[in-house]
Amino acid sequence: MDELKHLGLLMLGILVAFTVVMTLVAYTVLAERRVLGFIQGRLGPNRVGPGGFLQPLADLLKFIFKEDIVPDKSTRFVYFLAPIIATVAALMTMVVYPFGPDVNLPLLGTVRMVITRFDVALLYVLGVTSVGVYGIALAGWSSNNKYSLMGGLRSAAQMISYELALGLGLIGVVLQSGTLDLQSIVEQQAGHLGISGWNLIWVQPLGFIIYLIAAIAETNRVPFDLPEAETELVAGFHTEYSAMKFALFFLAEYVNMFTVSMLATTLFLGGWNGPFVHKLPWLGVFYFLGKVVLFLFLYIWLRGTLPRFRFDQLMTFGWKYLVPAAMVNIVLTATLQWLGAFDYLAGFLKTQTGWGG
Amino acid sequence: MLGLFFILFAGLAVGCAISLVVQRNPLYSAISLIGVFIALACLYVTLAAPFIAAVQVIVYAGAIMVLVVFVIMLLNVEEEERRPLRLRSLIPIALMLASVLFAEAVFIIYFVQANPATPTRNVSDVGLTSSIGGGLFTTYLLPFEVTSILLLMAIVGAITLARTGGLLSPRAAVVPGDVVLAKEMLDREKYIDVLTPVSAHTTKEAKDLLGIEDEGQSPKT
Repeated sequence: MDELKHLGLLMLGILVAFTVVMTLVAYTVLAERRVLGFIQGRLGPNRVGPGGFLQPLADLLKFIFKEDIVPDKSTRFVYFLAPIIATVAALMTMVVYPFGPDVNLPLLGTVRMVITRFDVALLYVLGVTSVGVYGIALAGWSSNNKYSLMGGLRSAAQMISYELALGLGLIGVVLQSGTLDLQSIVEQQAGHLGISGWNLIWVQPLGFIIYLIAAIAETNRVPFDLPEAETELVAGFHTEYSAMKFALFFLAEYVNMFTVSMLATTLFLGGWNGPFVHKLPWLGVFYFLGKVVLFLFLYIWLRGTLPRFRFDQLMTFGWKYLVPAAMVNIVLTATLQWLGAFDYLAGFLKTQTGWGG
Repeated sequence: MLGLFFILFAGLAVGCAISLVVQRNPLYSAISLIGVFIALACLYVTLAAPFIAAVQVIVYAGAIMVLVVFVIMLLNVEEEERRPLRLRSLIPIALMLASVLFAEAVFIIYFVQANPATPTRNVSDVGLTSSIGGGLFTTYLLPFEVTSILLLMAIVGAITLARTGGLLSPRAAVVPGDVVLAKEMLDREKYIDVLTPVSAHTTKEAKDLLGIEDEGQSPKT
């Protein structure tokens, strides 16, 4: 009975988290179009509902009612499987992120704001993300279209290359916190007013920049959006996909954006930490989502600002600059930790300014 | 509850493994193998070894199989044709080996059930990252370092094998990603390997451009 209750609570948690995240993702698409419109001196969609508020719903309905065209001579099973893999892999990482500290709610008692908490949460995120590559590679292959195949290989090569830099960029944080459990990493970043302990500020600026660049490449966004460069290259792996199957790839891309933003927030920006979280724990959820939204805004901003890389520039940058920089970061972090520099810094802050953890 | 998950994932693993052998299309086999790896990772989780599970997914499903899928896609391997078995004499030997394997499995199950082990230490800690890391860098430091040197040798070996001839030849002094202008390519001393020997298809204009004398033909007019 207890197990069933536990399972039911887990399912409820997953449902709530997915609803919140999917709604935010849907409105990210709208926000992207509106902000891009603002940057480019035009309006963007504002017809459906007040200020275009119902646009995501209209988009969804359009995707559902469009004709679903399956290319002749495609490899059927894999063709159907690919968007499912992409979406599932994108959504699966949602369960390990700590959305907030433990909150006391009137009827339910103490509620943990993380669906499941386990020892290797960070590795789980990296593992599930790496499975997402199959969605793209298989989509390109199964469409039986040479542009799709080339696009799929192009995207897969990009994702594999930047996955390395992404993982290496995170090792600095792991070295410092001594754990792979995301909730404890967040708790360690408490600090003064929930701000001074952030990993980004004192200890991992290089790691943060490496992670941010690699994450943008990993989610195929500007300036690394070669997988869907329809103006220069044929769109790529999703050329032959239409209607709801295309919508799934679209969804996977935005959910991926959301999850890498959540990981960046968790590891570098102190997760749900912020002023007065200790007195009002539910504030943590808003801090967390607020920081994630900041990252999403950064994505949109970059899209409105930067031009696109060429593919050889992309590969050169990934392998010759980003990966070595990440390795330097690891060596530097390990050395400083061995010398006790971080402990000294924390002590200095505490005695001089009254800050510190 | 755990039993239910075991049956689910073990069934998935066995099903994928059978599909891996039976499929004719190599890409379907590769996808089945990914399924086996993921099901195995789930089984590791139920065995309280989350670190091994995560590494299984990252290394095998996420890295090695991506390369396999890449190669299959690029080579566009045809569907395998079923040929009649040639070595029929091997069938009884195969059956015998299979039965030995099966008997072994039965024996292990029987043995484990007959002697339920009493764990000497807290088993729930063994699979945790910190205990694995501690073990690797203290008790098993030497094997760990030897393994890393082995992997390094494999990488160096792969590079050495790949660097013979063509654009990657050491003499060519061109590495992938370098921009080589056509003008520079004419520097025959430097890029001697890039310029393949003059063949019967080399046009006269190309030979003129490269400064190669037409041998055995009438001199330039």
